[in-house]
Amino acid sequence: MSQQEHIGPSTEELVVEAREALRDRTRRRAARLGDHFKREWQIYVLLLPTILWFALFLYKPMYGLQIAFKDYSIFRGIDGSPWIGFEHFRTLFENDQFLRAIRNTVIISFFTLLFGFPAPIILALMFNEILNQTYKRAAQTIVYLPHFISTVIIAGIVITAFSPSAGIVNTVLEWLGMDPVYFLTKPEWFRPIFIGSGIWQEAGFQSIVYLAAIAGVNPSLYESAVVDGASRWQMVWKVTLPSILPTIIIMLIIRIGNLLEVGFELIILLYQPATYETADVINTFIYRQGLQQGQYDLAAAAGLFNAVVAFVLVMTANTISKRVSRTSLW
Amino acid sequence: MTRKNTTRFGRETMRKSTLSAAFLATTMLAQPGFADEHLRIVEEPLELTVHFHWPRNQGYEEDYPVEQAAREMTGIHLKDATAGRNTPDHNEAMNLLLAQGDLPDIVGGNRIKDPVNQYGPEGAFLPLGDLIAEHAPNIQAVLDAKPELRDAMASWDGNIYYVPYLPDGEFGRAWFVRQDWLDALGLERPDTVEDLYQVLVAFRDQDPNGNGEQDEIPIFLRHWEELIRFVTLWDGRSTGSDTYHDFYVDNGEVKHPYATEGYREGIKNIAKWYEEGLIDPEVFTRGTSAREYLLSENLGGITHDWFASTAGYNESLQEKVPGFDFAPMLPPESISGTRIEEHRRTPLKPDGWAISYANENPVETIKYFDFWFTEEGRRLSNFGVEGEHYELVDGEPVFTDAVLTADQPVNSQMWEIGAGIPRGYYMDYAYELQWTSDAAREGIELYEQNDLLIDQFLGVSLNEEEQAVYDRYWPSIQTYMLERQQAWILGTGDIEADWDEYMAQLDKRGLSDVLEVMNSAYERQYDS
Repeated sequence: MSQQEHIGPSTEELVVEAREALRDRTRRRAARLGDHFKREWQIYVLLLPTILWFALFLYKPMYGLQIAFKDYSIFRGIDGSPWIGFEHFRTLFENDQFLRAIRNTVIISFFTLLFGFPAPIILALMFNEILNQTYKRAAQTIVYLPHFISTVIIAGIVITAFSPSAGIVNTVLEWLGMDPVYFLTKPEWFRPIFIGSGIWQEAGFQSIVYLAAIAGVNPSLYESAVVDGASRWQMVWKVTLPSILPTIIIMLIIRIGNLLEVGFELIILLYQPATYETADVINTFIYRQGLQQGQYDLAAAAGLFNAVVAFVLVMTANTISKRVSRTSLW
Repeated sequence: MTRKNTTRFGRETMRKSTLSAAFLATTMLAQPGFADEHLRIVEEPLELTVHFHWPRNQGYEEDYPVEQAAREMTGIHLKDATAGRNTPDHNEAMNLLLAQGDLPDIVGGNRIKDPVNQYGPEGAFLPLGDLIAEHAPNIQAVLDAKPELRDAMASWDGNIYYVPYLPDGEFGRAWFVRQDWLDALGLERPDTVEDLYQVLVAFRDQDPNGNGEQDEIPIFLRHWEELIRFVTLWDGRSTGSDTYHDFYVDNGEVKHPYATEGYREGIKNIAKWYEEGLIDPEVFTRGTSAREYLLSENLGGITHDWFASTAGYNESLQEKVPGFDFAPMLPPESISGTRIEEHRRTPLKPDGWAISYANENPVETIKYFDFWFTEEGRRLSNFGVEGEHYELVDGEPVFTDAVLTADQPVNSQMWEIGAGIPRGYYMDYAYELQWTSDAAREGIELYEQNDLLIDQFLGVSLNEEEQAVYDRYWPSIQTYMLERQQAWILGTGDIEADWDEYMAQLDKRGLSDVLEVMNSAYERQYDS
């Protein structure tokens, strides 16, 4: 205290000066902000619909999340239903089938990421190496096609392909002298079939992003690599991949955010009670318990749990990425 | 905005007409013989709004010829106010309707029983018992004649909240066998389980389709759940109602078929047959095209499916498969010598209509519901409009040639004019018989001569506490049952080795609690 008083005068002056400077800056910034809005208002008007869309379709429905903690009756409405705390969560976690669904969700998601994420990158690199333009375009169109086919049809194709009597897979197995397998009733085959058909359907379409990124790589990098005597393999490894790395990382983080959103429509179309053991995921569990049985509150609790886990995953991925590669979503 | 205005306008009209309707009420008792006037309910036209959701058309068309005829006869005019018109899912439509809170006067369509019985006691729908007793003599007469239906319709609080669609006729699915294959191999129709086994083995090994390959599929089914019905051959049960995997009633006690000894024995044998190649190896994934494909490729031998549609292949495949004869046969005798057909047409559908709490003319509405149970109303709802779709021949309605010979099946033609739709009405089996093929008709006669039908479990209405117990345990029990069932049939598990563990698991998952609430609800509903 006394020491501060001792050097008082100069400090006071400094403080006053600083305060004035601050006031000045704030005033100027406010003026600048006003100018900014005046100048750029069209951009904000353009932004408005998106903000409204988010508010209406993503933030407003969050109000309904409370039914996860209520004994919900659709006629009494959200407000009229009584609170019951964590009862639904307790019910869920006492249910071994829900725990199994969590396990299956994590396993399927993990392997989908492990095999499904690199697939479009590899595909894009391969397309990039094709020199014949006609062949390249034809090949691209063919691999994009499955993306535009409805899931129901995809399931039909998968069921037929793996059918023990008429399916192409079993026909090939028989040529090789093996016994036909009724794949879709074998729990151990469900995940490979599901993940594989997912990759077949989406890898082509997802490769577009990477193709675009590759097209943006500065050609002089390749030219100098050629001068340095790099092989094509080395160019892919040392030029193309590092150049599109930021795109890859952003795509990876987005994928991780959607990690737990397993494409359950395809699972519902492909699974059987016989394969529940490996196929039943959180979303199919919600579908059976919640929608078919009308237990919206319990389903909301399961969905909320799914969302919380997904949130933690995307936060973690983003933080790690920020530290390791300095690329991040925010 | 527009909708609200219409409603308000509608209510205005209604209120005015209530008075005149009250005067009329005394004179409108159903008296057959008078001209159309005796069916009139209100003097001045009355508009009622209706939510009407059913799979083939999400809504109620005001220009249905049947609606227009009904309007003329009764003076009551239904205006469509269906919620969720763009969803084919009845649960979703009903929930959209309830969630919006503002209910129309009448709520109807398919599968309304459960929601109506659940939200009726909460105040969403009017209890109909007294209204029916006072104002609906024709509905009352049906309920008096079939008291078990009244029990089955009721909610847990004992009230009736909907007027149901009552199907007529008894048989639904039946056993079919390729008679021409039997003839080719010199075999008799199988009459016991052992016979059936021999026939299946012969179908598998002796090339009845004569193409030189062992590609025959002795048993095939469109719905794999029908395979479970084969446990009846070993005195088990697969379900008690026309819903798969349902509870059944045994000597006044509600039980679940998948926890009984007959089921154990049945699944053991089905698994054996599956392993021996007597059952379609792809039964679980072949799906609804199984019948069409396997019959037209001349590959399938025996199935269990609906009378009319299955018999229909005898005509449609005559050219493609020469000599094709897919004949209905009696169910084989079980190992204990009983012969039952587990499936039958349910006498009570969960479809129909109800009166909402917002309805200001409940008396007129119940009289309107009653109209469909009068002689004229029942004809209108089954056969369409007289002179246009049917003629009265000796007092019996007969479809016109134009209807019978049209390209479209009769039932879809009826749906388009507003007949045969799931309003509360009483089906007349004569309507279906007129366009049922001869092969199916013979089969139905065969089934009628033998006493094959068993009682159905028509369901219980659970109160809030019971519902909570059911919701808590049942989904996971059923999931577990079905998982084990398929594993045993596919041979990845052995039912004999697993049975004790299976029963212990069912107990651990709360089957006894579920059975307890089912039985308490059953006693409340059917004993009084």
